[in-house]
Amino acid sequence: MPDFKCLEQVEGSKKDHDLVLYALSTCGWCKKARSFLGDNDIAYRFVYVDLLEGDERDEVFNEVKKLNPQRTFPTLVIDDEDVVVGFNDSTYGEKLL
Amino acid sequence: MKVEVSAEEIEELYRRLVEDAKAGGYHINPDMGNTMPLVEGLVTNTKRYGYGLCPCRLTGGSSEADLDIICPCDYRDPDLDEYDTCF
Repeated sequence: MPDFKCLEQVEGSKKDHDLVLYALSTCGWCKKARSFLGDNDIAYRFVYVDLLEGDERDEVFNEVKKLNPQRTFPTLVIDDEDVVVGFNDSTYGEKLL
Repeated sequence: MKVEVSAEEIEELYRRLVEDAKAGGYHINPDMGNTMPLVEGLVTNTKRYGYGLCPCRLTGGSSEADLDIICPCDYRDPDLDEYDTCF
């Protein structure tokens, strides 16, 4: 996975997985996903793709399309191999807790 | 691009969505914790792009490219069947 400079680190005491969350600032499910990670004190990196501009936005969006051709958000990448599309607290719980 | 959205704008769209949904035989999710952030996202996207792009999908760059993801989008009914809510 490309190491995008735009990814913002969110600190947390749980660091069992390398997590990258592709999100939209307008998306309620993305807010819930971030709340879940925050409430469970899980460290992750994230970016609001809709707030990016120019080449950076295209590069990140192309990566999301590769991971999730339906281009829906949130898209969570776990340890660079497992892709979770959408937010469901039981799925997040199974994968991360 | 960040845009400012007022509580009045969110409330106005919410009222319109409730009426439109009722007219079409649908219900807006009564869980306001789910619904209002989505309504806010729709107001933001309408100001940003000129049309009600789904708040959980990224624009393809034009209204033509986004036709399938303008609310209510082409994926509403399959989502309702599968998840009881839109995604």
